Amino acid sequence: MSLASLESSRTEAAQAVSLSGLSKAYGPIEALAPLSLTVAAGETVAILGPSGSGKTTLLLLLSGQLGPSSGAVTLVGREIAQLSPGKELAQLVGMIHQQFDLVPNISALHNVLAGRLGEWGLFKSLVSLVWPQDRPMGMEALARVGVADRAELRAGRLSGGEQQRVAIARLLLQDPAIVLADEPVASLDQARAGEVIRLLVRIARDSGKTLISSMHSVELARAHFDRLIGLRNGIVQFDLPSSQVADDMLLALYDIKGLRRED
Amino acid sequence: MKIRPLEGRRLLTIILVAAFAWSLFNVDWGSGLVNTGGLRAAGHIASSILRPDLSLDVLDKAIRASWTTVAYAVAGLTLALAIGFPLGVLGSGVLFRSSWLRRFNVAGTRLVLAFFRSIHELVWAWLFVVAFGLSPLAAVLALGIPYGGILGRIYSELLQDVPEAPLRALRSAGASEWRVFWFGRLPMALPDMLSYTFYRLECGIRSAAILSFVGLGGLGFQIRISLDDLAYGRVWTFLFFLIALVSLVDVWSSMVRRRITA
Ligand SMILES: Nc1ncnc2c1ncn2[C@@H]1O[C@H](COP(=O)(O)OP(=O)(O)O)[C@@H](O)[C@H]1O
Ligand SMILES: [Mg+2]
Repeated sequence: MSLASLESSRTEAAQAVSLSGLSKAYGPIEALAPLSLTVAAGETVAILGPSGSGKTTLLLLLSGQLGPSSGAVTLVGREIAQLSPGKELAQLVGMIHQQFDLVPNISALHNVLAGRLGEWGLFKSLVSLVWPQDRPMGMEALARVGVADRAELRAGRLSGGEQQRVAIARLLLQDPAIVLADEPVASLDQARAGEVIRLLVRIARDSGKTLISSMHSVELARAHFDRLIGLRNGIVQFDLPSSQVADDMLLALYDIKGLRRED
Repeated sequence: MKIRPLEGRRLLTIILVAAFAWSLFNVDWGSGLVNTGGLRAAGHIASSILRPDLSLDVLDKAIRASWTTVAYAVAGLTLALAIGFPLGVLGSGVLFRSSWLRRFNVAGTRLVLAFFRSIHELVWAWLFVVAFGLSPLAAVLALGIPYGGILGRIYSELLQDVPEAPLRALRSAGASEWRVFWFGRLPMALPDMLSYTFYRLECGIRSAAILSFVGLGGLGFQIRISLDDLAYGRVWTFLFFLIALVSLVDVWSSMVRRRITA
């Protein structure tokens, strides 16, 4: 099986994400005020906002890793609370993190192939520990993110940029309809960060996936994403096409004055 | 009176220090511990360290005895692995999501492991020699059971102690707990598990030498015979072989470890 056949096998509903009255409070802290919005299939959305504004909370709610205090998340027409965690959820949504989260002492290829663990039976998974299964698919994904020559190296040996590419390749094999990313390039240097974001956005566009990523770099977000959402103290400040986000809106978004304390 | 945590800790410290001091007073320092006649023998033993007996006959014996000792240690450790790995995985509770099932299972497994390891290998050896006579089986069981208990305990802790984030990433890719175990938890715990296993192999070689005092053959047995003959040069030959074995395992262990750590 090839990557291309994987991608064509899933057709997206027009509406990838729909939030209605979604909110989250940690005890007395309202991390996210009630929020309703929709994201169309294939859209690329960046979430901006100062530290503590609720970006990670929103992404965890979208990925089903966190339950909301109120409201609901609907992914491709299915309410997330109704989905069983595991395989079913993994087909709809996948996430990459700032710290890449690879298993450091298995090879890059094995890490990528782990994206197929939801699909494989237990026997095939165990065989794969010794003879990597679906190897051509894994190699194709590594080639697509530009680190095919690193396939046999242990993931922990790779540079930060390479590790993030491997994490993206793993997501290619998982093949979810919606890709979430939490500050995916915050720990990379500027040049590397630009390359990885370009790659991530290009792959999402090429395969028609919906991409929602929190970003610490305003420049990268403006340059590469269709739509920007500004969060501040858990409240949406703006939600606009990138070209319509003005500089003063961004200044107000990141203004230190009036920012809630983070503890 | 309510004891606050800090006071409680101070109290515990005082009790432990007192127990330690009291134990010192209860050792009979005068008569038994230092045997002045023994000092001369000790001098003999020490002085023959420079004159180990290297005759072909003794070397031949040393090589055979080393082989026996290693064979017992390896067989014992293999049994220990067969006991310790599955019980360690069970005892870590990582395969269960349901919390009460996990707690029940962890407690049960830990109890079994504690039973295995709280009895020393020498005591197990006595028991098995009574049961099976002076047979290799007795030696292997005597080593394998307590070592299995120790390995299981350590494995279960190492398996619990791996970083969570990569595991979370595997779960969110749709992997079940079993798959997360094989592709994330075990690979991340493996370097420490292996190096601890090698350390246990070292201990196993020393223990196997001791066990042979019970009459099971091997280096310890040869050392005892040589001591009985007052042939201290020979004693040192065998001791040097023991040291060499332990060092070899050490070198091997660091080579393997270097290969698998990221
Ligand atoms: N697990 C948690 N427990 C309690 N408070 C939390 C937790 N996670 C986040 N918060 C709080 O919720 C708010 C939003 O955090 P987060 O979503 O991490 O923001 P961001 O990702 O934009 O930095 C912050 O005030 C943070 O301190
Ligand atoms: Mg965050």
